[in-house]
Formats: sequence, structure tokens, C-alpha cells
Amino acid sequence: MLLAGLDIGSTTTSLLAASARIAMNCASGRLMISGADIVCRPDPVFTPFEDGQISSGALRRQIETWLRDAGISPADIFSSGALVTGLAAQSQNAGTITALVRELLGDSVVATADDPKLESWLAFMGSAAPLSRARSGETILNLDVGGGTTNSALGRNGNVLATGCHFVGARHLRFEPGSYLVTGLSRYGCSVLEELRIGAKKGDTLERRDAERVADYFVALLEALVAGDRSPYASGAAKLIEQVALSHSIPTEIVVTFSGGVGELVYAEAGGKTLPPVTHYGDLGIDLARAILKSPRLSRDVTSAVPENKGRATVQGLTLHSVEVSGTTLFLPHPDLLPLRDLPIVASLPSTASAAEISAALDLGGNSTRGIGLQVDFDAVNPPLDAVRRFSQQLSGALSRSSATNEGPVVVLIAANAGKTLGNYTTDWQQRHHNLVVIDEIPFRSAEFVSIGRARHGLVPVTFYGIK
Amino acid sequence: MIALKPLQEIAVPEPKPDEVYDISLFDRVFEFNGLKALLGAADVNKAGDRLCGLAARDEVEREAARAILSKLTLRHLYDRPLISEQGHADSVMRVNYDIDFDAFQDIAGMSVGDLKNHLLRCKPREAQKIGRSLTGVMAAAVTKLLDVHELIHAAKKLKRHATARTAIGLPGTLSSRLQPNHPTDDLSAITALVYTGLSTGSGDALIGVNPAIDTVDNISSILRHIDKLRRETGCPTQICVLSHVKTQLACLEQGAPVEIMFQSLAGTDRTLIEEFDVTVGVLDDAYRAMAENGPLRATAQQFMYFETGQGSELSYGKHNGIDMTTSEALCYGLARRWDPFMVNNVTGFIGPETHRTNFEMIISNLQDHFMGKLLGLPMGMAPCYTLHSEITMEGQQIATELLTAAGANFFMDVYLSIDRMLAYFDTCGHDDQTLRETHSLQPAPEYLKWATARGIFQRDAEGDVERGPNWGNPRIFCGSDSEFQRLIQGLPAAYGFDSAGPRPSNAVSRAIKANLAAAREAIYAEVKPETLGAIDFRRILTAAQSKSEHLDHPDRGARLRDSELTALTFETADVQIIVSDGLSAEAVHHNIPELLPVLLDGLERQNIRVGKPMVAPYGRVKLAEAVGDVLQPKLVINLIGERPGGDALASRSMSAYLAYRLNDADTRGQAASFSGNAGVKYEYTVISNIYTGGLPPIEAGSLIAERVKQILNHKAAGNRLEHALSVAAKGERAIK
Repeated sequence: MLLAGLDIGSTTTSLLAASARIAMNCASGRLMISGADIVCRPDPVFTPFEDGQISSGALRRQIETWLRDAGISPADIFSSGALVTGLAAQSQNAGTITALVRELLGDSVVATADDPKLESWLAFMGSAAPLSRARSGETILNLDVGGGTTNSALGRNGNVLATGCHFVGARHLRFEPGSYLVTGLSRYGCSVLEELRIGAKKGDTLERRDAERVADYFVALLEALVAGDRSPYASGAAKLIEQVALSHSIPTEIVVTFSGGVGELVYAEAGGKTLPPVTHYGDLGIDLARAILKSPRLSRDVTSAVPENKGRATVQGLTLHSVEVSGTTLFLPHPDLLPLRDLPIVASLPSTASAAEISAALDLGGNSTRGIGLQVDFDAVNPPLDAVRRFSQQLSGALSRSSATNEGPVVVLIAANAGKTLGNYTTDWQQRHHNLVVIDEIPFRSAEFVSIGRARHGLVPVTFYGIK
Repeated sequence: MIALKPLQEIAVPEPKPDEVYDISLFDRVFEFNGLKALLGAADVNKAGDRLCGLAARDEVEREAARAILSKLTLRHLYDRPLISEQGHADSVMRVNYDIDFDAFQDIAGMSVGDLKNHLLRCKPREAQKIGRSLTGVMAAAVTKLLDVHELIHAAKKLKRHATARTAIGLPGTLSSRLQPNHPTDDLSAITALVYTGLSTGSGDALIGVNPAIDTVDNISSILRHIDKLRRETGCPTQICVLSHVKTQLACLEQGAPVEIMFQSLAGTDRTLIEEFDVTVGVLDDAYRAMAENGPLRATAQQFMYFETGQGSELSYGKHNGIDMTTSEALCYGLARRWDPFMVNNVTGFIGPETHRTNFEMIISNLQDHFMGKLLGLPMGMAPCYTLHSEITMEGQQIATELLTAAGANFFMDVYLSIDRMLAYFDTCGHDDQTLRETHSLQPAPEYLKWATARGIFQRDAEGDVERGPNWGNPRIFCGSDSEFQRLIQGLPAAYGFDSAGPRPSNAVSRAIKANLAAAREAIYAEVKPETLGAIDFRRILTAAQSKSEHLDHPDRGARLRDSELTALTFETADVQIIVSDGLSAEAVHHNIPELLPVLLDGLERQNIRVGKPMVAPYGRVKLAEAVGDVLQPKLVINLIGERPGGDALASRSMSAYLAYRLNDADTRGQAASFSGNAGVKYEYTVISNIYTGGLPPIEAGSLIAERVKQILNHKAAGNRLEHALSVAAKGERAIK
């Protein structure tokens, strides 16, 4: 099956397409994407901005060229994800771009604009997750340091525990490559200069020492993240820089990993590669990478805990990890119902919920014509039959009672492998005409929306966004 | 390239009528009708020969047969080729007569007993020469006179080596074939197993994968992958994917790196041609293709690899009345035609119907090794077992110690001894290294140099080879820990990578043995109806009267006992459910209590009439048909335990066989034309892998209920049902 990911970031836009097998993992028994072969990974291009907006014409031409060169037609794509991130997400026409991406990457596309927590999650999954599983007893904080933002994600044993997003990045100060002549400043860049009492503006040449002070300022903010110290973000430029706080108590012993463009530079320098001269890329990236390496705390693990795909973690995560694959035994009496896009997840209930509680949740969806999503936690991979029967009975009662289900389908998502039986008991083996779909083997995700793609070979792709 | 003598040019004497051999011993008179009977009775007592009535009835009869055999001359054996059921010498027998006839003339007057004495008395060089003048039958005959010390001592003189990139079988060496098998040919898991094997000093003979899927595409892709691993690691060895010779020839033609050509051999044409689908001609073509176009044609002196093992002819019922040892010797007489790089013997692989006990397996392995070496082959050994025999890990380990003493060229390296694809148990890299250290042996010289440079081995102050700092650490071949972690994600039964000296660490051994114990328990456990949930079963009996009868005679579990045939009669239900242990009672104990209530609810709610469920201890899959013939429901569901593998969870795996009875002429006609089998009476839909780690029982119950509905609606099961469903789905889409 062909999977695709598109990451439109502050600095660059990158595409990745992978051909993957979906197979049962012989060790865990779960269906997983395995043996992904990258079929298309063109060099990233600078995101085409025009007057502070993304140029949709230039972007369209670029994506079309990439797809044509790789021989990919949208109809071939099983699942794809696109992200418009960082500064690009703040572009006024980000919505138009989302629509453009949907058009170009096929019907199965689930695009989302500016979902910083999703981006942090994806960067972790695309980079640090295998390392995290390998060192399952340790907590890893992955810092995805890019052009506009640093997306942080704290994880353990391959699972993300908490995410944050801060406007710490390489392109808040832009330079003429090869010099410190300032060619552009983001508003975050301006406020940092102001706080450091550096009086440079567009057209001025910054002292090297001042550029290093800016980099050190950013590094201090990252060190605070690692230490779990919120105080630096309480005031001044840093307050503005904090988009989403990393709200999780940070254990004292954590391993720090990096990804993103700056992360790639960090590992390259640490690995003995010669970096190009500072401002070669026209930004603060190389200074920032060196400042990170000078920090004893941030650089402590750079040689002992090296994640995969140091650089393009987000697009890798987007391509291979944004989609969950269902089990093969679903309750889906009418496969033509799919795809179902952008279903609000109205509630996450325990399997012990009563009919009244389920009803109340269903009513939260109002008269959503698209349908609604409901996550149910059975607290076990293989729940006992009694628990499945009991919940089915309550769900059936709620479906009969609720007014909200006259329009779209109710999609129940469970992590357990019991979807078909849950659906059969709820509908009395399809004798009751509930508009119900049950999709199983979908790990629980705290998200606002879910989209479900068309079934292929009995499996459906499930994508979450609006990560809470 | 060696010259292959055309089959018709090999002289084989005209078959003679069987003669009666008799002897009087301790006041008893023994008679044996023909050479086949005599050879069978002269062998060690083994399950396979007992099953087909060839084994001696007692030890005195066995010694009587040996006494007669001892006095027969080699000329006598030469003059009486063992014939097929059609009364002639088949092609396997013919190739066995491709001997050095002039040299044979010099020893033709020697009796089999004299040959034994001569082999024990003579110098190694003389012993090595004599094999070229012997047929397989002669080698088998002398083998039956040898005890354990003799099998080892004589074989030790017969060191044979062969050379591809590495030289295997040189004095002072013990090599191994790395066998990184995976149930779905997952290339990441295969990589992890290759790295693990190389880090324990394994794989100097070969990196060889037994594939799960035998297609040209898949075999080529595995070949290319392990070729890449070989190049990246720089390991001096050779690679092979053990698919059918015809598939490998197609891969070679397409440019895939078929460095060593593999094929399983058998000792009778009926097994070789009808079951293995190869002829001497096909193997001649394969040999020539390798000599002319194989990637190692300029490097290797040999490039064929054969596998054999006692009992395969018997397990197909195609042994032509020849005992297991003699059939095996005929395989060797066949294999030497193509001067192979490796011959690997997997005696013990089939199950209790050929080798029931440790003793039977050990002695057969020693015989095979001796016979192969005598006939000039570079023999490697894979003493092995399945869980439904009584052979144990300890017995298998004793076999490896004895075979190392006898000078076996190589053993397998199956990670932690559990083959994840073939569900059997073989030697592991730890075993191979333990044997090297115990018997002061080393890997092949080219490989040793490579492995020493990587710290897998090192030399101590005296210059002796010992384990190096990287021995047993597969991570030396990976960029990072996380890469290794990614590689082993899809690897079942990965109990750990810690070692204690050359052995797995105690924690790893305990995990292996605990899982093996649970799996074995699953086979020997009796079905306990009281553990199957609150279902009112009726108990029915099969023709197998006991657990051991059930395991040793697969056909009996497929039949109803006579008393049942008279007691049971036509019923009016649509569906009859049977629960049987098959090869794992634990599987039904673990799955039925949750599965059956869902299935019964589902059938009832879909208005399908169900007969009172049956529990059938000692049942096999085809019991469904025996029950279907008597009760005449539309469909029989047989819920049955599968053959346990290497971990406890998978030993609880069960299957559902949905046997649809083709009870009207119209349906039967459609099924016959669809399958091409005019006599078809039942069609099967199978739902397998039912256990908590695969398809959980409560989902299986729903799925089976849905399938039953589909089968009854479409009046078809199996591939014909799938075809009907896909036609129906297309029709629906067309209407829309």
C-alpha cells in the first residue's frame, strides 16, 4: 500500500512516499505497517512564500512535479497526511493550501493545518520512537528544532506522554548567506533582539557575538524545557515564544534527542562532519546547532542516544505513523459508507458506561450529518465476552434512545480486538437497524477529530488530529 | 564441471526374484523373504520401520538378520537391485549403480562383515577410497552391523571437505549453516537473525533461508537481501534460499544471486518425482546451469546443496518396502552424482511416526552421517525434533556431541533452537560454539580470519582461538541500538541475547524451556470437557484409542469408532459442531469457552439450526467428513488444536475447519468443475490462527457465524465461495 506525507514548514516543504506492507506482526499479533520502502523522497525545497503568504501556484507546480517524477497517481495512495506548520500555518491562506493538498494527494487525504501537538507527536514517532522502545525503561524528550518552532515530545517505551510547541527556531533571524546581514526578522526574532537589547533591524549587520547571544537565549529556553522549569517562560519574549507549554512533570533523568533541520546539524557536527560556514543557509541554524552542542545538558546524549531519521522526522512520522491500521474483523455492514472524514470524537468512555452515559455522549454530537466518533476503553487487549456483551447491551439501548444518530453513523473505536462481535451483539446480528460501525485495534488517542479511509483488503486507515 | 553419465549408460543388473534367507539361532529358525525384509530386520528398532512391518519382532530376530547379512557378499548385493512396485530399478537406484566398477571388482567377494572389519582396520585414506565402489544398499548393509563406537570411529576416518567461498569440512573445523527463517519472510527479522548468527561465529558454511512463500519474486527478493547482507558485513560465506529447484532455476535465469542450488532428495522415484516434483534430468539441468552460469562458477569447486532425512519416503507411503536407513543411503548414492558442496541430514524432522524416541533419533543420525561420509559426501547434520515426538532437547544435544566426535562437517544455527517457520527444533549458534570449544574445533579458516578482525573471535597468548569481546553481540552490525530494536520487532520467540560463556544465559534458557514445556504439555494434555465452558456436549469416540495411538497413526483420528457408527444416525440440523484436540488440547481449552457461546448465539440469531455440539478426543481434521457422512448436516464445523510451535502462546492456537457437504448433484457438479476433482465430496473454508495473540476467540466466534451464513447462502465453501463472493460484490457495484 502506498502512503504519502507532505510537510509544509516555515523553511522547507518536503514530501515522502513509501510503499509499505501491512502485515500481522508475528510477535505481537497486531496488524502493523511493516517493511516500508521509501519510493519517493525528493530534496526539500524552500516553502514558496509570496508577500507573507504561501504561493499556492508555486506549491501546486512543485507537488505535481514530485508526484509525476515518482510516477504516483492520487488514486494509488492508501493513506496520506499533510501538515502546514510553524510560520507557514500562520500564513493567511493556510486554509486554501489545505484544500489544494487534498486535491493533489487524493481522496484519502486527511490534511490538517497548524496542529502543533500533532506535529510534536509525529516528530517523536518519526525519529525517537524506535530508540524509545529499545530503551524502554528511560524517558526521552525529543526536541524537533526547525525553522519556526521547536516541537517537544516526552515519551516512554515508544509512546508519547506529553507534547509542547515553542517558537524557537533557525529562521526567526534571516541573513544574507555567508554574512550576518539581516534580511528578515519574525516577530519572535524582533522581541528576542529587543529583550537582549540588540538594536539590529533589517538591513543591519549583526555582530557575531550578538548572533551567538540570540542562539544562547534560545538554548537557555530549551534547557529550561529539559529541566521542567517553567519560570523562564513566565515573562518577556519567552512568554510570546511559548505556543503550547510542555505540561508534564519532567523526570530528573531524561534522555534528550533532536530532530528537525537544526537537529540534523547537531548530529552531523557531533559525528565529526564539517558543517558549512555559519549563515550558509541564510539563518541562525548553524549557530543554534553549535550552541546546543556547547550546552552540557543538551549535548549530553548526542553520541549515546542517536535517533533514526535525525532530519526529516515530521514527514517520516506523517507518512508512516499518522495512520493507524484497523484490525481485519470489523463491524462494517456497509463498506460503501467509507470514507468518513472529520468526525468529531464526542467522548471517550470506559466499557462500564451505562446506557444513559452513552446516550449523553451521543447527544453531544448534535445532529452531525457526518457522523460521530466514540472511543471506548475495554482496558484489555482481549476483553472477556461478558464485558463485550454488557457494553453492547448498553450501547444498543443508547442508540435506540438517542436522537443524534438519525443522520450520520456512530463510529465506535476500540483498542481491543473485538469489533465484529461488539457490533453483532449491539445490532442483534444486524437485525436492529442501528447506523453503527465498530473499528477495532485502534490504540487510544486523545484527539478531537478522526477520519476513516476506504477499506482495502478488509482494513481501514484511521487518522486522528486535533491532538489534545 | 564433472561429466554426468547418461542414465541409460549406467549398468544395472536385471532384478532377480526374492529369495528366502534363513538361519538357525539358539534353537530358533528365522526366515526373511527377500533382501528388503532382511535389511529391514537387521536395523535398530525404529518407529517408522515398525509402522510398515519391517522391524524385527525382537532382538534375537534382529541379530539373526545381522548374522545373515554379515555373510552376504557385496557381489550378492550388487546382483540384486531393490526394485520398485513396478518390478524394476527406478532412476534413484540406477544412479546408485554409477560406481567405480573396476574398484568394485576388487572387493566384490568381500562379505558385508568383512567390509565392516576392513573399514575399522584400515587407514583413513583407504577408507575414504572405498566408497566410490559401493552402492547405497551396500553402505546401508554395513551400517546395520555397526554399534555406536563403530559408527563414530569409522566416520571419523572419512573426513570429506568441499569448497565454495569457504572450505567446509577441513580437519580441525566445525562449521554451521545459519538458518534465519521467519514465518512471513520478514526481511527485517531475517536481518536480525543473520546478524545474531554471524555474531556467534555461525554461517561459515552457508546463510540459507527456508522461505515461507515459494514464488520466483519472493525467492529473488530474499536472495538479493541476504546477498546485500553478505556484502555489507563482508562475511566470507555463500548464500541460498531453499526453495524448489525449479523456482531457483527461474531466479538464476532472472539474474538473482543463486550461489548454491538447493533441493530435497528422496530414496525412491515415487517420492522424488511425485512428491518432490524433481527428476534426475531436472537436477542434471540445475547442475549444468550452476556450473555454466552460477555466480560462484569461477570460485567454487562445488555448488549443490541437498537435504535428506530418514523416513520421508515412509511418511508419503512411497518407500517401495525399503527400510528407512536403506532409503536414506539411496539418497546419498543419488546425491554424489552432482558432487555437492553440502549434504544436510534432518532426521527427526518428521515426527513420531518415523522416530519416536531420543535413542531412535540419535542412532539414525549416527548411521546417516557414517553412510553419507562413506559414500563420499561432505555431510553436515541437523539432529532435530518436533514436539509431538518424545525426543527432547537433551537427546538432541547428545546427538550433536556424538556427531561432533564423529567429525560432522557442520550443524545448523537456528536462533535459540526454535525454527519460527517450520515449527521444529534444531541446533543453535550457542550449541555450535559449545561444541567447538568442547572438541577444540574452529570455523572455516577464511571465515575465522574475518570474524577475528571483528572481535567475534580472538587468539589467546598461546595463539589458540577463543571467543572475542563481540561474540554474541549482534549490535556490532547495526548503526544503533534502535536499529537493532526495529529489526527484531517482528521476531517471535526472541527470548534474549545474553550469553553465559558459549551458552545462552540462564534467564534465556529458562524462557526457552518454559515455553517448550507449555507447548509439549499442550500436545499431551487430554481434552477436559469440563474446562470447555457451560456447553452441553455429547462425547464421540474416534478410532484412536489412546493419545499415543492418535499421535502415531494420523489416520485413526479421522475415523469414527465402530460403536459410534452404529449409534449415530441421520439428524436434521443445518450445522454440526465438533470440538477436537488435534495436536493441542490446550488450544481448545483456552479458546472454546469464549468462542463457542458467540458462535452458537450468532447461528441461532441467524436462524440456523445447530445439532448438539460434540467433543471428540483424539480427533483429526478429516473427522468432519466421518461425522458429516453419518449425521448429514449441511455443514460440519471442526474446531481443532494446531501443532504447537516454539512459544506458549502460539501453542494455544486453534483452527476452525468448515466442511461443506456437497449433498446434491448440482452443487457437487459445480464443485467438481471448479476444482477439477471429480470425486469431491466436501469443500473447506478454514479460519486459522485462533488464539489471544492472533484472532481472539470472541472475534472468531462472530467470524465463523458470518462465514457459515455465506456458505449456506451461496452453497459453496473454500475458493469457490471466495469466487462467488467476489462475483456478487462486483455485481453490486455494477448496479450502483
